[in-house]
Amino acid sequence: MMTVRRKRRTFARRKICRFCVDSDLRIDYKDSKTLRYFVTERGKIVPRRISGNCAKHQRELTLAIKRARQIALLPYTAIHML
Amino acid sequence: MRKYETFFIVDPDLPDETNSVVDSKIQSIITSNGGEVLTYVPWGKRKLAYAIRKRTRGLYVLMEYSGGSKLVAELERNLRIDERILKFITVMLEERFDPEKEKERKAQALVAPFVEEEESAVPPLGGEDEEEMPEDFEAEGLKDEEEDDEEK
Repeated sequence: MMTVRRKRRTFARRKICRFCVDSDLRIDYKDSKTLRYFVTERGKIVPRRISGNCAKHQRELTLAIKRARQIALLPYTAIHML
Repeated sequence: MRKYETFFIVDPDLPDETNSVVDSKIQSIITSNGGEVLTYVPWGKRKLAYAIRKRTRGLYVLMEYSGGSKLVAELERNLRIDERILKFITVMLEERFDPEKEKERKAQALVAPFVEEEESAVPPLGGEDEEEMPEDFEAEGLKDEEEDDEEK
């Protein structure tokens, strides 16, 4: 049973890419503290329209998150811990 | 010559002597295959995000080295065979490695190993994570996604 969705706004909220703005911030798969902001509580990667990243950094971020999952710095899913 | 970095997890239950044996073994693999170890930083024990071979903690080691492309295959083959090493990942940092620049870089501080975190090593379940997320996030957007998944 689908919930009734609110009408989506036609334009996305104007968010800035925090990596474009702050050039000191590097995307590194070893840096799980930063990466954790871009992963939901179930371990899923946050989509770009919500996190506000630009396309380039979203791609780099996805690659970093997937690498971090391989090396057990981030979980693949929340079910691991049960 | 290329610059690579290998990040691997060693079994944490081993005694310290074994750890140093592993260290020297890996470094000798690199030097004997025509590479050069640039940095070798053990990060310390840390809780794993998921159990690997039934262990919940691991000793992380970060190693930067330079070498040819065949060196990586040889190193990974050895890491795979060694039972004390649980996981590894190799990333290429630079295509053209310049030893001069490396000396400048070494003058700067090394990456600091992280402090052992007990509870916060893994993202907590439940509602706690929402508080950690910055206010930018549209929590409603996320909840919609979650609801759809659970209904399927």
